[in-house]
Amino acid sequence: MSDPRRLLWPALLILAALPPFFVNDYVQYILNSILVYAVVAIGFNIVLGYAGQLAFANAAFFGVGAYTTAICMGRWHWPFLPALLSAALVTALVGLVVSLPALRLRAYYLAIVTLAFGELLRWGYIHADWLTLGSSGLPVPAASMFGISLASDRARYWLFLCLTALVLWGSANLLRSRFGRAVVAVRENESAAAAMGIAPALTKIGAFAWSGCVVGIAGAMFALLLGRINPESFDLSQLLLHFSLVMIGGLGSLVGSVAGAVVLTAAPELLRNVAGLEEIVFSLLLIGVLLFMPKGLAGLLSRVAVLREHLYLG
Amino acid sequence: MLAQLVVSGIGQGSIYALVALGMTILFRVTTVVNFAHGELFMFSAFVIYLLLNAFDVPYLLAALAAILVLFVLGSVVERVLMRPIRHAPHMALAMMTVALSYLLRGVVRMGWGGDVRSLPPMFTFDPVMLGTVVLAAQDIVTIGATLLLVAGFFVLLQRSRFGKLAQAATDSPRGAALIGLNVPGFHRTMWGVAAAMAAIAGILVAPVTLLYPDMGAQVLVRAFAAMTLGGFGNLGGAVAGGLLMGVLEQLAGFYVSTAMIDIASYIVIIVVLLSRPAGLFGRVERVRV
Repeated sequence: MSDPRRLLWPALLILAALPPFFVNDYVQYILNSILVYAVVAIGFNIVLGYAGQLAFANAAFFGVGAYTTAICMGRWHWPFLPALLSAALVTALVGLVVSLPALRLRAYYLAIVTLAFGELLRWGYIHADWLTLGSSGLPVPAASMFGISLASDRARYWLFLCLTALVLWGSANLLRSRFGRAVVAVRENESAAAAMGIAPALTKIGAFAWSGCVVGIAGAMFALLLGRINPESFDLSQLLLHFSLVMIGGLGSLVGSVAGAVVLTAAPELLRNVAGLEEIVFSLLLIGVLLFMPKGLAGLLSRVAVLREHLYLG
Repeated sequence: MLAQLVVSGIGQGSIYALVALGMTILFRVTTVVNFAHGELFMFSAFVIYLLLNAFDVPYLLAALAAILVLFVLGSVVERVLMRPIRHAPHMALAMMTVALSYLLRGVVRMGWGGDVRSLPPMFTFDPVMLGTVVLAAQDIVTIGATLLLVAGFFVLLQRSRFGKLAQAATDSPRGAALIGLNVPGFHRTMWGVAAAMAAIAGILVAPVTLLYPDMGAQVLVRAFAAMTLGGFGNLGGAVAGGLLMGVLEQLAGFYVSTAMIDIASYIVIIVVLLSRPAGLFGRVERVRV
């Protein structure tokens, strides 16, 4: 601990734990949403930014996580922790399945097959009434963990903060590991990576499963946050938000993803009153980033020297 | 009954074929997979709706105007959005078309709200009876237009000097530029042509379907299914795949369940890509390292 820079993350975590003491309920709800979407963006960035796979299944992963949680808690009366773990596991498995086409198909085929997969799942949520209660939505009961009630947004905030920190720390370490470097190597040049002894197929499967696991955790948080989930929550406009978070935050930067969530999460709340405005604003932001700022917010943040070394592989 | 289902399926499938054809042509020339093609189609239907309802223009004129508007829109998209990032990775190009699709959807949603709208039928002549099979006026026009366009593009791309230039611009943009072809200008024209083709599909569909901002996404997935069935980049394959997709939907809807109509295309995409990724008529593509 001699190097003061090592204190940056613990200090940020402590700072981030303070807001519930002095914000009102509405702001608290927005802060909770920011944490949910920060985890979504971290998970999506692993596939989109680090593995370089154009996959459209992220809203579907998010839905699988949320529905798994809601079904475990609402139908089978499980406590939150096992429901969360099942959501992470089930979504990781779904991610693994979705990665299979990525192994033999070129980029745009993967995009198309994942688009079809996501829409198919949404159709499933609507039509599998016996499991999901269809369009009327599935209620999620109030949860508790280790005897602490999670009924209030304040209590959930600290839980979400712990989960976000855990996911961020875990993903950063994983990306710095041999596996994480293999993921980036496969993105850059699959043949060269294979020549170096990396198995591209296994690496891609691993990246999708990890991404699915993280987004599944976000889905579980989302279910807890809303208290009731609907099939419409996982439609194409949800996917647009996910794309925007990652692209505007910065492809291939976990910190950028968190920054993207902080900047963008409140926006849908503000734009919801005018039909179509949310789509217009987010698509224009996306176009702006693609044209003028390919590195997104992470590109801006990297100008601050203290942050630079934390931005890319962590 | 089977014959009737097949005929209706071909009528419906012609639309998918037209949309898939536009995407295939664009893909062949620019190697961009246009995720906004469904929204160009949707946008043209709303342009017609606007012209007919707000300005009271005759149908034929409105249709021509819509084609022109979409041609200009397509060219502008190429010039403003695609050209500045033409050297960027494929993912950025695809992402740009995704952003465009949401932008068009948002603009239409803001202008007309999320309500479902409809137009009066365009063709009012009597349906043709072939034995017991009814061939609706709309289907005749749609199928005819599709056949004409397919034949036209086949000649244009496979048998003409223009087609050779298109091939050259795709295979080696640099080489094509060296022999004096204006490659960016060429791409701009093809974006315009592809958007105009989406407009033709939109014009044919607008009078017989419901108009709503999300209609493009539905057609996009079906066009993808058509292209997947026929093999990506294969003109004839896209058309055959579109027709097949239309027939498959009708059969699945009648013999299995009406809910199947919505998901037949998703299932086709997933099954074909996993079992025969080059499509029904495609050859396996070998990638040079």
